[in-house]
Amino acid sequence: MIQLGRTEKWTLRFAVVALLFLALSGFEGMLMRTQLYAPEALGGMESVLNTLRPGAADPTSTELYYSMLTAHPIVGVYGFIYMAVFGAFYFLVPYLLDKPIKYKKLVPVNFWLQIVGVMICWGAGFFGMFNALYTLYWPLPVTYDRVPLLGSITFMIGAAIIMVNILIFSYNLFSTVLSKSNPRSYNFFQFLRSAYGIPRLMKLFGKEDKNAPNLDYNGLPVFIVAVGRGSVDTVINAFVLLTAGALILVYGLFALFGSALNPDWVDALLYKNWYWWGLDMVADGNALIYTAGVWYLLIPLLTGRRLFGANVVKTVIMVDLLVSMAVWSHHLLGDTSQPMVMRLLSGQFITWGEFFTMGLTIFASMMTVWLARPVKMTPALKFALGSMFGFMMGGVAGLIQANLGLNMVFHNTQWVVALHAHTFLLTGVGMMLFSVLYALVPMLTKLEFRSKALINTHFWLWIVGSVGMAYAMGMAGSRGMLRRTFYEGGQFQGYTLVAIIGGVLISIGFLAFLVNLVGTLGLRNVLALFVPERWLAGRQPAPAQA
Amino acid sequence: MDSRERNWLFFLIGVFLVFNVVTLTPVVPWQEWLFWTDPTPAHRFSIEYQDYEIRLPPEGIEVQVGEYVEFVAVSADVTYGFGVFRPDSTMVFQMQVLPGRDNSIVWKFDTPGTYDVRSTEYSGPRHSEMYVQNAIHVTQ
Repeated sequence: MIQLGRTEKWTLRFAVVALLFLALSGFEGMLMRTQLYAPEALGGMESVLNTLRPGAADPTSTELYYSMLTAHPIVGVYGFIYMAVFGAFYFLVPYLLDKPIKYKKLVPVNFWLQIVGVMICWGAGFFGMFNALYTLYWPLPVTYDRVPLLGSITFMIGAAIIMVNILIFSYNLFSTVLSKSNPRSYNFFQFLRSAYGIPRLMKLFGKEDKNAPNLDYNGLPVFIVAVGRGSVDTVINAFVLLTAGALILVYGLFALFGSALNPDWVDALLYKNWYWWGLDMVADGNALIYTAGVWYLLIPLLTGRRLFGANVVKTVIMVDLLVSMAVWSHHLLGDTSQPMVMRLLSGQFITWGEFFTMGLTIFASMMTVWLARPVKMTPALKFALGSMFGFMMGGVAGLIQANLGLNMVFHNTQWVVALHAHTFLLTGVGMMLFSVLYALVPMLTKLEFRSKALINTHFWLWIVGSVGMAYAMGMAGSRGMLRRTFYEGGQFQGYTLVAIIGGVLISIGFLAFLVNLVGTLGLRNVLALFVPERWLAGRQPAPAQA
Repeated sequence: MDSRERNWLFFLIGVFLVFNVVTLTPVVPWQEWLFWTDPTPAHRFSIEYQDYEIRLPPEGIEVQVGEYVEFVAVSADVTYGFGVFRPDSTMVFQMQVLPGRDNSIVWKFDTPGTYDVRSTEYSGPRHSEMYVQNAIHVTQ
């Protein structure tokens, strides 16, 4: 058995559960693609699953499709990505700061609450047939002749648990960074001040605030600065979504007790602005900054060379935070009632701020690799480079759709969800998280991954599958195929078939990774993460007789 | 800043300028009337959305190639979308239809033919049914 410390053990637990959620989310994705290809293909499976659902519910294929479409992103983002981030940051932040997590007891709380919250949301879709999608456009989630009341209430409870849990995690992370267990301690406002780069701005104008500790220059690793700044987005995101969820929950409870509230009391456009402002903090905020932070950490570690342009990089992190606060209108380019100035400035021009910040981030990372030649192409480095490719591809697609003119024919099409969102999530963020796992597992366990062939299989199948799937569906989008629409007549089948093949490649690649991971750690060690060691100790094979 | 970084930054600025300038000009045809001019539409068509139904004007929608027409869509319940599609399923244009708002867009068709209307925003499990074939007739 591998002997692991408490932190290492929790990190691996988070990682294993994150991978299980990735598998669940991917399975749902494959089911939906199959339904799009052949609308009645899942009839047999649906009949069996209906026996598990309460009451006499006999949902249609369409209802099942939209319920799955609602649960799928929650499992993918809050199950897979957030769980992986929790695990990685709970190890890396104390490791890099050389001080322990401030509230250790909150680590298992985060672990279980996230699982419970995600599974409640998933259950609201699977059992409760909640189908308002993750967008929750007002007043659909409170229109109970379209959305099941109990499903809506359950989903909001699950979402609230997730958001509160994220706030707890962020609190613990900030507390750890700010804790006074070593000389690197700062109060919250000093940290926030640095997170927004105020001392750097003052320096730009020839002034130096000697009293304000500048985290950048006090030796705080760039990764920690990125985590701190990204977590500002994380907190805003969780808070805003919590308020939206609470609003829907209040409407649900009033309806449950027979005195329904009037949906007209909430303005649909104002709600949409508020909701997207918060939701976009994930897509255009913490995801980008966390990813940049990971590249800033991993690339120098893997190449053995100092990060190229470190000063520019620190400014980039600051600018990216400001940009993330003001880009949400690119989700409202199709709303002609949204003021034109908002659509043009916030929707289009400020969104280009990410082109600069990510452009400079990727340039700094690539230059570091270039200047470090010859470099050893380790699995972690390979996946890090793959993730950069994903961000470039998804970023370009995003800039095309976040354009006042071009959005007219791209809005709400498969282009948006495939070429932009799934490329970002699967090729970009997914490969970045695999890069972290390929780097962290040997650090945590002192074990090297067993099979290079399986690593290469994982890499190529994942990147070819995810890019192929996104490209096929993106092209379908450019031909008018909508997202969030179940084509009952089986249109766009050719594109969908290519996407299914892409999904199969991703699945095989993922399987190769799992086989390699379990083969490296040993099944007993993986099980030991979740069950008491004494259970396994009793089943150890007897030592060989002399 | 390193000179290589500076050059890269200039390159990024160049891409930003070229892309945004080009896509704001009538190289993207509809930018001419959506962004630069404010043409007076020859016709105004009101479309009502309620209970998964797209209610077009009873007299139908007849448009001539090259004339400006305005579509005003209102929703009595939830958010929908107003999308116009060619018979081969490719999209001509679209807008969101928010409840409590007059959602309007001016358009100029350049090709005669019949066009379909589909709701482009999810509005509940019956959303896929919101599809009206041959809803708009454009003549020469």
